[in-house]
Amino acid sequence: MLCKKCVLPEAKPDIVLSADGICNICIDFEKRKTLKQDNVILESEVIKVLNKYRAKGRHDCLVMCSGGKDSTLALYYMKKRYRMNPLAFTFDHGFENEEALVNIKKAVNILGLDWVYYKSNFMKDVFAKIIESKTQAPICHVCAIWYLWFTHELAARFNIPLIVAGWTKGQSLHKGETGAEYNTMSAATSDFIANCLHKDPKYRDFPRSIKEVLARSRKKFKTEAISPHWVLPYEPDRIKEILEAELGWRPTKLSYPLNSTNCIMNFVSVYLCMKNFGFTHYHIEMSKLIRLGELTREEALKLLEINFDEKFINTIVNKIGCSLKG
Amino acid sequence: MNILGVSCFYHDSAACLIKDGNVIAAASEERFNRQKNSSAFPSNAINFCLQTGDITVNDIDYIGFYEKPFLKFYRVILNHLQAYPFSLKNFMDILPSWLQDRLIMPLVFKKELGFSKDPLFIKHHLSHAASSFLVSPFGEAAILTADGVGEWATLTFGFGKGNDIKIIQEMHYPDSFGLLYTAVTTYLGFEALEGEGTVMGLAAYGKPTYLDKFKDMVLVKSDGSFKINQAFFGFNRGSRMYSNRFIKTFGKERKPLDKVEERHCDIAASLQRFIEESLVIIARNLYNYTKMEKLCLAGGLFLNCVANAKILEETPFKQVFIQPAAGDSGGALGAASYIYHTLLGNSRKFILQNAYLGPSFSSNQIKRMLINHQIDYRELDELRLIKYVARRISEGKIIGWFQGRMEFGPRALGNRSILADPRNPNMKELLNAKVKNREPFRPYAPAVLEERAADFFKAKQFSPFMLLATNVKDDKKKAIPAVTHIDGTARVQIVSKSTNPRFWNLISEFENMTGIPVLINTSFNLKGEPIVCSPEDALTDFKRSQMDILVLENYILEK
Repeated sequence: MLCKKCVLPEAKPDIVLSADGICNICIDFEKRKTLKQDNVILESEVIKVLNKYRAKGRHDCLVMCSGGKDSTLALYYMKKRYRMNPLAFTFDHGFENEEALVNIKKAVNILGLDWVYYKSNFMKDVFAKIIESKTQAPICHVCAIWYLWFTHELAARFNIPLIVAGWTKGQSLHKGETGAEYNTMSAATSDFIANCLHKDPKYRDFPRSIKEVLARSRKKFKTEAISPHWVLPYEPDRIKEILEAELGWRPTKLSYPLNSTNCIMNFVSVYLCMKNFGFTHYHIEMSKLIRLGELTREEALKLLEINFDEKFINTIVNKIGCSLKG
Repeated sequence: MNILGVSCFYHDSAACLIKDGNVIAAASEERFNRQKNSSAFPSNAINFCLQTGDITVNDIDYIGFYEKPFLKFYRVILNHLQAYPFSLKNFMDILPSWLQDRLIMPLVFKKELGFSKDPLFIKHHLSHAASSFLVSPFGEAAILTADGVGEWATLTFGFGKGNDIKIIQEMHYPDSFGLLYTAVTTYLGFEALEGEGTVMGLAAYGKPTYLDKFKDMVLVKSDGSFKINQAFFGFNRGSRMYSNRFIKTFGKERKPLDKVEERHCDIAASLQRFIEESLVIIARNLYNYTKMEKLCLAGGLFLNCVANAKILEETPFKQVFIQPAAGDSGGALGAASYIYHTLLGNSRKFILQNAYLGPSFSSNQIKRMLINHQIDYRELDELRLIKYVARRISEGKIIGWFQGRMEFGPRALGNRSILADPRNPNMKELLNAKVKNREPFRPYAPAVLEERAADFFKAKQFSPFMLLATNVKDDKKKAIPAVTHIDGTARVQIVSKSTNPRFWNLISEFENMTGIPVLINTSFNLKGEPIVCSPEDALTDFKRSQMDILVLENYILEK
């Protein structure tokens, strides 16, 4: 059963529905809102951060860009709205969608930006280990940890103190939020990394959580990370219009949720998360967007509709020598 | 060229963006942070203005602040020294706020916005003067400003020509009509900076039997200058604004919950009459000096629509302009206008024809909000919606009316309004009981079709911003009893088709149904709250009151 306000299902102990069918996350959100503790971030806050790093080196910031609409728009905003000189960065673990890569190429060409495209097989074995070990750790969580850590390392190599991502308001924790809905997923991820991945010397340095990435980065690189979407109006249709008109951006044929993530391995992650938890990090993201009034429950449910089957998933996992059968 | 005007740290914080000479956006911080008359740094209002102008703080060429803090602080220190030792506690209370922000404004702008250039400081009353004249339709005009106090000035008069403003004379603190009005407002048991309008409403119920006492207390000379006997007041003492001598003269002060007696009405009437007469003397002098036929008014005192009308009626001025944010929020508009036109020498091309400078919300945003709140609603096309709402108003329903861009200034002018039928003699009581919870002696204002205003109201000039009181024509008083004040006046807003077509259409449709081109238009808020800004604010007030229908753009909610 889903929460009546958002799209989170009951998943004890993290998500508990009240007698009225409202989840604890929505109840907590309303409470903070009533107490005016919802800490809205204003654009001026983001600009202050940008100005701190403007024109300090060859590049002002490093933008994580997968070619999806949110990250491409973040790149666009950095160059056009904030007049920064960003270095675009794409991490391809071998499962990036070709159409998304075309989008990035067009964007960096039109915007006249430097671009680092890094293709690596490093994650391929990690994905295989996740599937073989039958851990509940979501593939996307593990991947996001590495992607973020590697981005911090790369930023340091280029002497860039600021990382910019296309994280939506729904993908970020704000002051006062506990992120309780992530607890079990995060625990499974940390457990998998510590007890399985770290046994392989190749992955000994793999951070166990996003929290660890940020702590390490603060200590080692002193980099900051922000997203323009935290502070700007977020209208998906309008965003699509801007990107198509200004950067020749096109939505990819394969994407889950619609017009969102393009990575092929994402489908496997979603499939396994639904099986293990009954929801994915997209449910969490969209639930937050619903609470913030940027999406309706019906719109979210439509976007979250599963548009693929196990056969399709197997074609992907077979590429890394695995199978989901049995 | 982008210029941001800012007013804050006293009351009615606001921001305004002028882009290449056009006023693009302006809003009060209270609407965003939901604290009535908020004095906070207007971060939300500034962010709104910049996003509306599609610029960031890095694109701002100048920031104008609406007063000169050091000059003001100098006055504050001197005044507190004069009132020592009674003023000590008050001084110690206010000192931290001066040190933390008002005296370090460049640092405040850097800290809050990341703006590292030096802001420009425009004198408080010059900001007021600019807020009116520089956006008025007049090429030249006399200018009169009055409020509580700026740096030293409490009232100034001068004139504007082209893009220049000259101040001829200033009255200085503590001689202040604004503070006098506020002091008496608090004496009568109403809140300072909030209850002045209430006192204006109360005045119509009394007789000016105390007028001589006010004249004894305040000497107004023939040249328009005036002197307030400070023995009656204590503006720096902190605890209250009037002295024991004032109480001895006027009797025991009224506590907020006490009954309003005839004496209170008479004191309010006397104060109102005294202010009107004094302003008329000053305005006549100003006319004699300038010989200009047009007059621009600004400053909190000129939110007093009854006094404004008297100035227009009893002086040789033929036309008056008062912009909708006549109080301190308008200082943001004035500071930005003054920089663009007067300091930078740009010619004028913008006329403030409407107050709709605040945020608007798309149909999608509203629909999402309604769906997420699991509210039943209907969507109608505009034509059907207008007909439906007009009919429901004529049936006695109270409507929350939310559309387009929010108004700048304290008046709701048809975009964040509560509407009702002015024909119903009980409507004032109904509105008070079901929604507004206001004092029974406060009148509700009419919004009338511009073309039909003269058929219902008598006035030399009408205001689109509800800032000129008029007399209701004798033969119409019975037709619109709910907006006719006890003294036969009404605080009219004229609605033109060009500036607010949808609201005009609604009133017009109401006229088609009833023969009356008038609606009650009161601000969309509940007692003690700022006017609503977002659809969610509107929904909250709708749920918390007994409003019958809520219209959010083309969506209709009913109870």
